[in-house]
Amino acid sequence: MSNQSKQSFTRKWRWLAGAAAGLAAALVLAACGGDDVGGEREGDVEVAEGGRPTGEITISQWPGYIDPGSNGTVAEFEQRFGVNVNYIEDVNDNVQFFGKLQPQLDQGQSGGRSLFVVTDWMAKQMYDLGYLQEFSHEDLQTVFDNILPQFEESDSDPERKFSIPWQGGLTGIWVNTNQAPEIRAVEDLFDPKYKGKVTMLAEMRDTMPLVMQSQGIDVENATTDDWLNTIDLLREAADSGQIRRFTGNEYTEDLTSGNVVAAIGWSGDASLIGREGIEWRRPTDGCDTFFDQMVIPVGAPNTAAALAFMNFAYRPEVQADIATYVNYVTPVEGVQEILLQRDPELGRNELIFPPPELTEGCTADPNPPGSAEDQQEVTEEYQDLITG
Amino acid sequence: MAWLRRNGLRIYAGFAVLYMLVPIIVIAVFSFGETPRDRLNFSLGGGFTLEYWENAFAIEELNDALRTSLELAALSTVASTAIGTLMALALVRYQFVGRRASNLLIVLPMATPEIVIGASLLSMFIIYTIALGFTTLLIAHIMFSISFVVVVVRSRLIGFDRSLEEAARDLGATPFQTFRYVTLPLILPGVIAAALLAFALSIDDFVISNFNSGTTVTFPLYVFGVALRGIPVQVNVLATMLFVVTVAAILLVIWQQRRAERMAAVAPEPEPQPQVA
Amino acid sequence: MTIGRRFIPYWLLLPGAVWLILFFVVPMYFMGELALRSGTFETGFTFDWQFSNFPDSLEGNEEQIIRSFWYAGVATILALLIAYPLAYAIALQSGRWKLLLLFAVIAPFFTTYLIRTIAWKTILADSSPVVDILQALALIPDDGRVLATSGAVIAGLTYNFLPFMILPIYASIERLDLRLVEAAKDLYASSRQAFLRVTLPMTAPGIVAGVLLTFIPAYGDYVNAAILGGTNQAMIGNRIQSLYLFQRDYPEAAALSFLMMALILVVVLVYIRAAGTEAFMGEDEER
Repeated sequence: MSNQSKQSFTRKWRWLAGAAAGLAAALVLAACGGDDVGGEREGDVEVAEGGRPTGEITISQWPGYIDPGSNGTVAEFEQRFGVNVNYIEDVNDNVQFFGKLQPQLDQGQSGGRSLFVVTDWMAKQMYDLGYLQEFSHEDLQTVFDNILPQFEESDSDPERKFSIPWQGGLTGIWVNTNQAPEIRAVEDLFDPKYKGKVTMLAEMRDTMPLVMQSQGIDVENATTDDWLNTIDLLREAADSGQIRRFTGNEYTEDLTSGNVVAAIGWSGDASLIGREGIEWRRPTDGCDTFFDQMVIPVGAPNTAAALAFMNFAYRPEVQADIATYVNYVTPVEGVQEILLQRDPELGRNELIFPPPELTEGCTADPNPPGSAEDQQEVTEEYQDLITG
Repeated sequence: MAWLRRNGLRIYAGFAVLYMLVPIIVIAVFSFGETPRDRLNFSLGGGFTLEYWENAFAIEELNDALRTSLELAALSTVASTAIGTLMALALVRYQFVGRRASNLLIVLPMATPEIVIGASLLSMFIIYTIALGFTTLLIAHIMFSISFVVVVVRSRLIGFDRSLEEAARDLGATPFQTFRYVTLPLILPGVIAAALLAFALSIDDFVISNFNSGTTVTFPLYVFGVALRGIPVQVNVLATMLFVVTVAAILLVIWQQRRAERMAAVAPEPEPQPQVA
Repeated sequence: MTIGRRFIPYWLLLPGAVWLILFFVVPMYFMGELALRSGTFETGFTFDWQFSNFPDSLEGNEEQIIRSFWYAGVATILALLIAYPLAYAIALQSGRWKLLLLFAVIAPFFTTYLIRTIAWKTILADSSPVVDILQALALIPDDGRVLATSGAVIAGLTYNFLPFMILPIYASIERLDLRLVEAAKDLYASSRQAFLRVTLPMTAPGIVAGVLLTFIPAYGDYVNAAILGGTNQAMIGNRIQSLYLFQRDYPEAAALSFLMMALILVVVLVYIRAAGTEAFMGEDEER
């Protein structure tokens, strides 16, 4: 070999050797940990300990879901119990929050959180995966004394051992009554007249039941094919530009700036209530309810304080403060009477205290049917749809 | 016409800078708007008010978030600029085994989507049970800034006039002295540009921070949280303040410089500087 | 003395290399391992050399891969066209205002990425004066809109990555030896020729750095598409995010991420080849 090529040959070898050494080192490092990913957490379900609340507590919550400020519920709680509350509003979407927290929950950690609020179907999923602690009813006297009878048990948590309702509401249509007063049904959203001026929720369990009902499908008994066909229908609408986008909470922006005339959205949306020309409507061809739940995760540092907070939130006066600000459905008894005294109009607000006719026949954030694989297929197809 | 030809570029620059400032102007304008429930959805229609400016620091979480972000960015900038500059020097000035590999190592983080960096870092922190928080954020921020610093400083180092350094060495300076008194001042603009970039990257980062922050809330994370339900107007106020403060600081620096020049004009004439642009 | 000198580059390199290996390479290894697993989230992912994840992950995502390339490419070109004259003007024509202009260009980026993009969303809203003007100028149809279109996403990308383009070009122009330009002019070159044959090639490293620093993150971005785009503007970043956070299909997400990185690397290497290795690697001719 000539000198030149011998040099470059050695150089190449050295390079390879260096890379191999580096890889080997990385492998060794990485070998010291991590086997299974995903799946159920092993171990028994922990039961949250009660006791006198002290110290500090971190609560993760949806934005705008509590009355804020120095007179707000959190401040009151801090004063009453001498507990320091770190209240973070970092739950913007059930699935995103789950995705962010999952690796830690899998290892039995909660990232410092003692309490957080997610929608009931997500709470059940988390529980099934072993990410939540249970609690005993004895530690939650105030809760179970004051909870409205219809919330004492639920499909996702029949014995109420891992989730306590926070607030709930209905999924329906927010309409710009100045520009599109005729929109009253989910079917209207597919009218070409409103092409590009309509948004739907990215949350599958909100949008799908509504659209299926508008197609005349019985959601409780729907098959996987029903779900998939509906997704195809939505995909057509999305590709053609009929549906402008699939949103999280930010549909409010598009509505107020006039980008859209109608959006599938949640009934108590604080930023839209009271605005001129924008109104929430229960669709004539279907409806859906949801209820968010307080849960205690595994690895929660201060369960006593978390339980105390739950009890505190179920005091009617406290709940009345929350309901005044948040305008969602409250699960606590006695709140309506208090509100009727304070502000009669609020006390009669159908969105906070829905009469039975409003919620009759509504679905409740259903899961897709069938086996785990079927569910996975539907979820994937839907995700495919909304990510464009 | 000739005036246009001479100043055409300057006029263009003026418009370009204006374009870059458009969102900040919008943000500033909306900080004066009256909004229902103090939560801004960037909609017009309210009146003019100074209310939010008077209560700029009313939201505790926002203040904490901003403070955290500034601390994080400062630390991250110092560390990554130092580390990155050293790396750039090594890569441009020396031939050594493993140089190609090092180049590759620098490029890879930039070629990786932020979400992948964020998620993979998170998995590693979990597996080694490192508590998430400010420290993990700092680690992540330094990591993704290093590559950018190297690239920027490197483009400044390439073609750098070595004769000055040689001259210094001929006059008896040690390598360290040469570096400190000749090289460093001359590459300083590049280093400063890199530091600026690192600072902006850190303050701005959302995706990677979202994965690795635990319960620590940075400014972007806070904004994301509230953006979906209505941004409090104070966010606009603080953002505008931040911008104004930065510009004011620079004006101060420039004013100081001019003062120094004027003082120097009175002092005896210094040695003539070499004519390098 | 000579032995110590030989190790100088390694000492300089050490802190950075250690940091990057610990906090970039090792996590990547974990991600690679994840890409070879199979299963679902509920049943757990087990490692079984599932190489099929790689081609599988491409399925259904080709449109987004191409679209990202298109968006990032256009945005990069636009950014280059906007940034170069601006950097030139700041470096060479702004005199005492240089520092101020530089900061004016960078300072908006100290407000959050999200808030800037949301501000653009307001500016480009269907009912805004800007859109009205564009309609009057017949640049968009009368019932057209800017938001939720490719144009909006590209505009967002261009704007948000502009400083990545400006800074390296500025640094490169700033240390340009003007005497060479003067010399060219003395040799009867016109301004245009002097620019094309002296200035431009000599600032090539800055351009290369700027292009790479802009294209690569733009390619993997998802925030712009999420805020300014609609149902048909999703980029590959949006897909990966969805796989990680929504579908929780970690193996596919990891595989897709690797493929994406590989694609970018290929593009980068091709570009560097074309632009000339000296411009990027800085092979010092003197040594």
